[in-house]
Amino acid sequence: MKKLTSFAAAAVMAITAGAASAEGLSTPNLSYRTGPFAATGIPLMNGQRDYMLMLNARDGGIGGVPVDFSECETGYSTEKGVECYEATKGDAIVTQPWSTGITLQVLPKTNVDEIPILAPGYGFSPMADGSVFNWAFNMPGSYWDAASMILNEISGNDLSTLSGQKIAFLHLDHPFGKEPLPFLENMAEEHGFELLPIPVGLKEMQNQSAQWLQIRRERPDYVVMWGWGAMNAGALTEAVKTRYPMDQFLGVWWSGHDGDMEALGEAGTGYRSISYSAPQPDAQVMADIREYVFDKGDSLATESELDWVFYQRGLVISAMLAEGIKTAQDHFGEGEITASQLRWGLENINLTDERLAEMGMTGMVAPFSTSCSNHTGHAGGWMLQWNGSEWEVASDHLMPDSEAIRPLEVAAAAEYAEANAPWPIADCE
Amino acid sequence: MFYNTAGQFKTSYTKDQSLFPVKQDAILLGVVLLCAWIIFPMTASEFTFKTMLMPVLCYSLAALGLNVLTGFAGQLSLGTAAFMGVGAFACYKLITIFPEMNIIVAILLSGVFSSAVGVAFGLPSLRIKGFYLAIATLAAQFFLVWLFEKWHWLSNHNPSGAIEVPNIDMFGITVAGPNAAPVTQYYLILAIVTLITIVTINLTRGNQGRIWKATRDMDIAAELIGINLLKSKLTAFAVSSYIVGVAGALFVFLNLGAAEPNFFDIPLSFKILFIAIIGGLGSVMGNFMGAILIVALPVVIKFLPDAIGLEINPATVEHLNIMTVGALIIFFLIIEPHGLARLWQLIREKLIIWPFPH
Repeated sequence: MKKLTSFAAAAVMAITAGAASAEGLSTPNLSYRTGPFAATGIPLMNGQRDYMLMLNARDGGIGGVPVDFSECETGYSTEKGVECYEATKGDAIVTQPWSTGITLQVLPKTNVDEIPILAPGYGFSPMADGSVFNWAFNMPGSYWDAASMILNEISGNDLSTLSGQKIAFLHLDHPFGKEPLPFLENMAEEHGFELLPIPVGLKEMQNQSAQWLQIRRERPDYVVMWGWGAMNAGALTEAVKTRYPMDQFLGVWWSGHDGDMEALGEAGTGYRSISYSAPQPDAQVMADIREYVFDKGDSLATESELDWVFYQRGLVISAMLAEGIKTAQDHFGEGEITASQLRWGLENINLTDERLAEMGMTGMVAPFSTSCSNHTGHAGGWMLQWNGSEWEVASDHLMPDSEAIRPLEVAAAAEYAEANAPWPIADCE
Repeated sequence: MFYNTAGQFKTSYTKDQSLFPVKQDAILLGVVLLCAWIIFPMTASEFTFKTMLMPVLCYSLAALGLNVLTGFAGQLSLGTAAFMGVGAFACYKLITIFPEMNIIVAILLSGVFSSAVGVAFGLPSLRIKGFYLAIATLAAQFFLVWLFEKWHWLSNHNPSGAIEVPNIDMFGITVAGPNAAPVTQYYLILAIVTLITIVTINLTRGNQGRIWKATRDMDIAAELIGINLLKSKLTAFAVSSYIVGVAGALFVFLNLGAAEPNFFDIPLSFKILFIAIIGGLGSVMGNFMGAILIVALPVVIKFLPDAIGLEINPATVEHLNIMTVGALIIFFLIIEPHGLARLWQLIREKLIIWPFPH
């Protein structure tokens, strides 16, 4: 009995201690280090985590307040994502859902719970319209931005040259993969190219022979891929097998994973992936990560992973969040900001070249600024090309065709608000 | 001692056939219902509502539906998730086409659609049995999920193909959608689950239940004593798919708030089948016990280390979780292959003669 009492006392103490340790800025991440997408998730999660750890070790957090960067494992499952959201939202100032499916579920709740969603380069493209999606942010670019930049690159910035051409759109049959379809369909109609959507079911990710048979038969001028996890490796292997020319094969920013390409090696030479981030192994921030996190053994990443596109993108994602926190702290004059103060901060980010240089991240992401009506920032990006052993930047800085995208965003956002009425709409004037 | 039945005399046949011939059973159920209806809602946090109480109820209901078909009528089915999907998509269409419709009416009506689809896919059961029937229902699983993905009318041409639940009011209270309070949603789910469970208990104890059990135990013998197998099997498919469809609609509309077609894929079917098997085939109570083990326990394990202040890598916790739940499933199936409900039965029988076993 005595033992039991002391155990109970220890448990109670542990619980209170657990609650006390959760001080500082709570920025939970709904990670997926398990499940079918783990291979692509792990470097991203590591990058995000290491950047925050580095800030804590180097600067004592942001504005002197330590960042409590906790992870909640979802395995990319929507159901577990909602569990994690509910579990972490208590003292969180931001939620990072990490899957279009989870984003769609959490999106309507954030208006009620008043917690900003940070979905850098994923989620629902119309989230750019900040007047409708008050609490959602997807800077530095949306999927529609990515699709637009890919079209700009292959057409040499003149979409009319695509007229009469055939573009296959190989995508995961999941909310994520379907996201750019409305934009691409619109562009196909306007500029007279033929769009051939080829869905890949979640169960067929590793074996895409049927899809590539169709590609071989249809002979598209370009294959644009919206793939994730095991689907990317599957598609690239099939492309090599069917001898589809790699320089006509392009992917979204989640389809440029070093691990997949290293497995292909030389055979993958020429494959391009659009990216809003560019790896800069010599950047100051990398030196800091090594000094304050990696060399101390605090990182979960491996040595070779540090130069990967995905790892460095993870750094960029956390850096944007940190910038939002800093903006809010400066504006409100408080260290421990609340969720709604962070919302203001994320909405007023002004990431200039000078600021990037100050952060030691020159060239890792393009400068951008957000505003009430523009929650995406539309920073643009670069085309990364696989040279057989690593990714290299193979284009000038590309910009999406915002003039074409904006009306679509506004229309889709309005439709969403109408379907979810009563939906609060902010006045951005 | 606690379960002493001495002194509980039955003086009429009606009393002897009552739902609870042993008084303690009724008291125990009363306590469970008291917890579910009063104590949990008063004490639970939003997190508990959203991740444990409501999913457990929805999964229990789905497993109950499957149990009618597999446990009582003996027809193995692997298409449960697809029938849940039919219920959810039907409810979504009903709500969007008739926005004035009461949500409860819509949910109960959506079961009719999945019931019809279930009967259609149940037709092969007249010719094939056992594993072969399981394969036929697997066809339903693949076909229906494919249909949810390809037939965009079902999701009102939503570009992501997902259904999103709008805010729905009932008598001035928001009951579904992001603005709804979890406690209202919980009560709605609980009311529907309680109602359907009572109906199912009576159904399985009555004439229809006996017809199903006869079909399950030996269909030739059943046919010889005058049971119409066509009717028996198809009613089982109809009732089962109805309950499963309602469970799907409840789950998406009152708990999840949104669902993409892939959600209704085969892993969900397996999850529900596991709940039914581990809970106990041919039992009503087992579904609830199985759902607690398969649905609520992983959530507890997942958030326990954090709650007691242990710093474990969340991915490791996830792996530990899978291992623990898997080990528990094997453990329970080894000590009692007939499921948790049977385990409880044995414990109860032992308790009745305790402390003087003969």
